[in-house]
Amino acid sequence: MASDRAGHVPAVKSEQGAFEALFKSEYARVAGIANRVLSDPQEAEDVAQEVFMDFHRLHSAGSPYAASWLYRAAAHTALNRIRGRRRRQRRELANAPHEGSKAVDPQQVVEVNEDRRRVREALARLPQKPAAVLVLRASGLSYAEVAQALGVGTGQIGTLLRRAEAALRKEVI
Amino acid sequence: MAHLNDGTLRRIVDDPDAITAPDREHYATCSECRARYDAMAEDARATAGLLAAVPSADFDAAAAYQRLQTRDITRPRFGLRLPILKPSSQRMVLVLAAVFVLAAVITASANVSQIFAPKTVKPVPVTVAELESLPDLSAYGTITWSKAPQPSLVPDAATAASIAGFPAPKAGSLPETVSKTVSYAAMPQAVGVFTFSAAKAQAAAAAKGKTLPAMPAGMDGSTLTLTMGPAIVEIFGELPKSTDKTSHLNLPQLIIAESRTPSVTSSGVTVKELEDYLLAQPGISPQLAADIRAIGDPTTTLPIPVPVQYATSSKVTVQGVDGVALGDNTGVGAAVIWIKNDVFFVGGSLKQSDILSIADGLS
Repeated sequence: MASDRAGHVPAVKSEQGAFEALFKSEYARVAGIANRVLSDPQEAEDVAQEVFMDFHRLHSAGSPYAASWLYRAAAHTALNRIRGRRRRQRRELANAPHEGSKAVDPQQVVEVNEDRRRVREALARLPQKPAAVLVLRASGLSYAEVAQALGVGTGQIGTLLRRAEAALRKEVI
Repeated sequence: MAHLNDGTLRRIVDDPDAITAPDREHYATCSECRARYDAMAEDARATAGLLAAVPSADFDAAAAYQRLQTRDITRPRFGLRLPILKPSSQRMVLVLAAVFVLAAVITASANVSQIFAPKTVKPVPVTVAELESLPDLSAYGTITWSKAPQPSLVPDAATAASIAGFPAPKAGSLPETVSKTVSYAAMPQAVGVFTFSAAKAQAAAAAKGKTLPAMPAGMDGSTLTLTMGPAIVEIFGELPKSTDKTSHLNLPQLIIAESRTPSVTSSGVTVKELEDYLLAQPGISPQLAADIRAIGDPTTTLPIPVPVQYATSSKVTVQGVDGVALGDNTGVGAAVIWIKNDVFFVGGSLKQSDILSIADGLS
């Protein structure tokens, strides 16, 4: 890496220090967003690690959009994971049509909370942006923070939220 | 005064003070707005209850940072790493595109000689592992081009238009960062006939120690006729150097492309037999096959492969029709694909919002 040269060492140290500070200040929130989608703290931490690694590979920790990028990436990565689960479940059902009524999915055994399962499935069915709006808002982000994370105007959040909530209720009912 | 819009009413649910004086006055006297507010507040309360069903968890950032230190977090020297675009992987991408088109065509063919005519686009998630394990379709038969694909760089838009038979797409206002230097490429219509060969398929599989499912009766010797293009591609900024063999993609600032929709006719065997045969091939994962089957109406849908580890996709509206957007607003890279009579592509190293704005302004 070019920045390994002696003259750039302070910059590297500074970037590494900035990244560590960013990681420690935002990790809980990023993992919390993922957990809101996944209902699985361990998998949420996997997502958070993946998101921070991707960020570090591509961006400077001092970027003004760092936190917004991390929040959005956490929501999208977690949503992609539950969509992947749905695809896996569809595939498993398709491959074992005769075992459908008897098969016991270990994950479903763990998922004792029916509401959580239904919400996850509903989120997975929603388009990415409405799902992300719901997750980010439910994770405690302000209207302005959600707007920054999704790259839209703050004035649009009310409308997006309204549509997303109506869509989620429709999916869950 | 007009009624308050949904966004304003929804904001009041979270922040009753976030309302202008005229809006507050209207709200106080408008029973219709208050009724809409009540419905929204109920949806908001119910949704919050559903999402709050997830118990909060404590996350130890310091311990997590220690774990991160044990992983390889090397930064690329520049740009975005997209392994699927390494030169060695480009053939697989082409094969993937062929698989999708064939799968859609085969699924679309009710009997014989029916035409695949996509009118919209839809994303199909794929992984790099799936890309790398795809079978080589050339092992299943022979393709003969009556008009081979012949893309070429041309000096200007007029030449591109004369080759394609339609005018080059014209961008409206562009971000200031986009270069004014534009290169044009054009491809006349290409037509190829793919003829299935049972003997060739079995021989290729045997050479690799694999066993193929039996080719359905009537498929051996049957044909698919593919028509692609014509197409025009506009590249803004410096052209990528063809000698660059690194795995790092040097994305042009902006690419705009338009192509006539592909069309295919098929003959020989039933839809079900062809679909089952193609999607049961070694290398096509059950998940990918299920995703292709789940596309919806394959007669009018062009599947867009989305590498899930490297891009996010979302459904967008472009020029009044549905499109698939890839990427995000970081400026690293974004693209949008849609069909409005022709297939259109706008992509590059810009924010997704810029790409969508350019796409909407295209004429």
